[in-house]
Formats: sequence, C-alpha cells, structure tokens
Amino acid sequence: MPEIFTTLYEVFIRTYPGFLKAALITLEITAIALVLGTALGIVFALMKISKSKILQTIANLYITLIRGTPLIVQIMFLYYGITNIVVLSNFWAGAIALGIHNGAYIAEIFRGAIQGIDRGQEEASLAVGMNRRQAMRRIIFPQALRRAIPPLGNQFIITMKDSSLVYVIGVSEMFGLANREAAASFQPFETFLVVGMYYLVLVLIFSALLKWYEKKLDVDSI
Amino acid sequence: MIKTKNLHKSFGDLEVLKGIDLDVETGEVVVLIGVSGSGKSTLLRCLNFLEMPNEGEITIDGRQVDLKKDDLSNVRAEVGMVFQHFNLFPHKTVLENVTEAPIIVKKMKKERAEKEARVILEKVGLSDKADVYPGKLSGGQKQRVAIARALAMEPKALLFDEPTSALDPELVGEVLQVMQDLANEGMTMVVVTHEMKFAKEVADRIVMLDEGCIIENADPHTFFNHSTNERTRQFLEMVDV
Repeated sequence: MPEIFTTLYEVFIRTYPGFLKAALITLEITAIALVLGTALGIVFALMKISKSKILQTIANLYITLIRGTPLIVQIMFLYYGITNIVVLSNFWAGAIALGIHNGAYIAEIFRGAIQGIDRGQEEASLAVGMNRRQAMRRIIFPQALRRAIPPLGNQFIITMKDSSLVYVIGVSEMFGLANREAAASFQPFETFLVVGMYYLVLVLIFSALLKWYEKKLDVDSI
Repeated sequence: MIKTKNLHKSFGDLEVLKGIDLDVETGEVVVLIGVSGSGKSTLLRCLNFLEMPNEGEITIDGRQVDLKKDDLSNVRAEVGMVFQHFNLFPHKTVLENVTEAPIIVKKMKKERAEKEARVILEKVGLSDKADVYPGKLSGGQKQRVAIARALAMEPKALLFDEPTSALDPELVGEVLQVMQDLANEGMTMVVVTHEMKFAKEVADRIVMLDEGCIIENADPHTFFNHSTNERTRQFLEMVDV
C-alpha cells in the first residue's frame, strides 16, 4: 500500500515544475475564454430579449448550434477552419473556441437573470422618464448581474475543467502535459491522478473566491 | 392638465377601456374608483403610456401626445407615477433612488440633484434614511421614497396606482398624509384607491369606472350622498363607507 504513495510522490516531484507552467496556461486559456464568453453572452442575451426578430433568430441559431454540438468538435472545427484563413496559434484557437462555446451558455444565464427581474423595475424606470436603454443599463442589468453571479460561477468552473479539451489541438496545458507524461513515463495511473488533483485544487480555490464574493455582494445589497 | 378623449384599450379580445373621456384640471385631485377589473388601473397606466391606448387622444398640459412620433420618455418625465408595489430600485440607496432620474434623464449635476433630493426626503419625513437601502425600510417608508422619487422630476402631475393597497393597515396613514400635503400644495393628482376616507376628504372629484366606462363623475359630497346610479350605490354598500 505505501508503495503507491511513494510512486505518486515521485511522479509529483518530477512533474511539478512542468505542471505549474501548464497550470498557468490552463488559467490563461480559461481567463480568455471567460472574458470572451461573458462579452458574447451579454450581447446574445440582449439580442435574444430584443424586439427585433432578426436579432432573436441570430441569437437562437448561435445558442442552438453551440449547445447542440460537442465542445471537442467545436474546438477542432474552429482550429482547422480558422487556421485556413488566418494565422492563429493553437493556444488562441483553443481559447477562442472555448470562449464562443461558453458565450452560448452565459447568454442563457444572462437572459434568465434579466427576465427574472420584476417588470415593475422597468416600469418604474420608464415612469421617471428613462428610455429603455437607460433602464436596462442603470436599473435592470446591474440587478440581473448580481443575480447571475452564482450560475456564472458554476459556468466558470465548468470552463476551467473544459479547457482540458484543447489538448486535442496540441496546447500544452495541464491535461496535454499529463497525456504526454503518462505516455513517456509509463505511469498513466499516477500521472492522471496527479493532474486530477491539480484541477481539483484550482476548482476549490475558485469556488472559495466565488463564495467570498457572493457573500460580499449580499452584504452590500441589503 | 390631463385630458383623454374616446380612449380605448384592449388586451387581446378583452376590451378594458371603452371610450373614456376624462378631464383633469391643473391642481385638481381626481380619485378613480371601481371594482377590480373595471379598468381604473389600466386608465391610469395609459395616462403615463405604460399601456398604449388602441384608440383615442391623450392631451398632457395642452399638447396632444402622438404615440408614434413623440418621445414618450419626455412625456413620462412630466407625469410622475407611484406604484402599488413601490418598485424602488433595490440596488440603490434611498438618496440614489431619488437622484437617479434627475441625473440620468435631466442630466443634472450630482451635487445639485443630491441637494434637491435631501429637501424632498425631508418633506416626506425620511431625511434620516438617505443612505439606507430600500430593503431596510417599512412599506410605508418605501412608498414615501417612491413619492419622493417621482417628485424629484418636478412633474406637472402625479399618478397613484393603489398606493396604499400593499401596506399594513398601520402604515397607510403616513402615506396618505404625504399625499394630502401634496394635494394641499396644489399638485395635480389622479389616484386609484380604495381609501374612501381619502376620497371623501381630499378629492376634488370622484370618477367611478364600471366595465371600462365612466359611470359617475362628481364631487365627493354628491358622489357619497346623492348618487342616483344603481352601480355606484351597490359599490358604496360593498366598500361600507
């Protein structure tokens, strides 16, 4: 029994310099995907609740296509599709694919949060002379954002884990590194256990930050 | 000040307003009453274009409003509205609730807006609550903030949509007092309410709606004591004045 711990420890010690670098790449890809995904999410949520049928249709199409196909297919499609047209590193192709993927889910989160705000808020905004745009920007969206934070946090955690899939286009993030390490060392069991722990630690840190932030917001809003 | 001519409003197949002619003079307090479903709230909401009438004319301060061409935001900025459920902005303090519209809509400087807001909050008896969030207030305090928020735009008229219906009985008085003060100052007001005492004591005129039509339009004394209308008498018996 203690033997497994010894080999695990060995694998850990041998691989941690590489994994720390790879963790940074994982975090970078996740961060880029989240920024892009949130921006797309807000835009498509607003399109979906807009009065224009054309904008609604475009948003619905995007959301249906993204949610209806596997992320790994989207990554491959985007990587081989885009690199035909523009020169793009596999890092950026992966980050952008992950961002576009998340945009669809985040759009639904924002749409739900915006539509969940009591209609009276918009009416009160209009009644004091604001136009719809001002009401959305000043009154409805800030409240929706607050309400969207718990589901957004969940989505962010999913994104961090999903970033492992960009290994298929050769990005050396944590899972890509683990894959190579496992093959080179003939120690797949230990290697994947170690990389699993890295993901778990990152997720736990992120969850704690999120919890802290939710609490902070709550205190302010009372 | 506010005038409607042949106002019609339907929701789908349901015709809620069937040709309303209403004339509210400057400084007048008009109370709209009627059983639920009679169309009184819809009429009030049409006066502020929160509902779009299907037919008819609305004239505000001598200008007929063109639903298609006019910027309704400008029209709404001139007619304030107080809602049954307050609809305060929960993510903003009391002071911010009051200053929001002057700053955003009227482009007023923040310092000036805050100075004016504090005067208004003083008037509704809430100067000590300026920095509190609405969630910490009682219903009566919330409604007084809502009135202050409407007053901050210096409206030419104020509409009240059942302003005391969502309040605990002991909190009704403080809101009615503020409304009475406003009436005494000459504010033009249209009030949908079930508070018959307020109607009797403060209203200049009482308008009774029934099934989308005005069936009675009289001063309070005549309305409560000498109405010959069968539906009005039934209503008055029901509300037990």
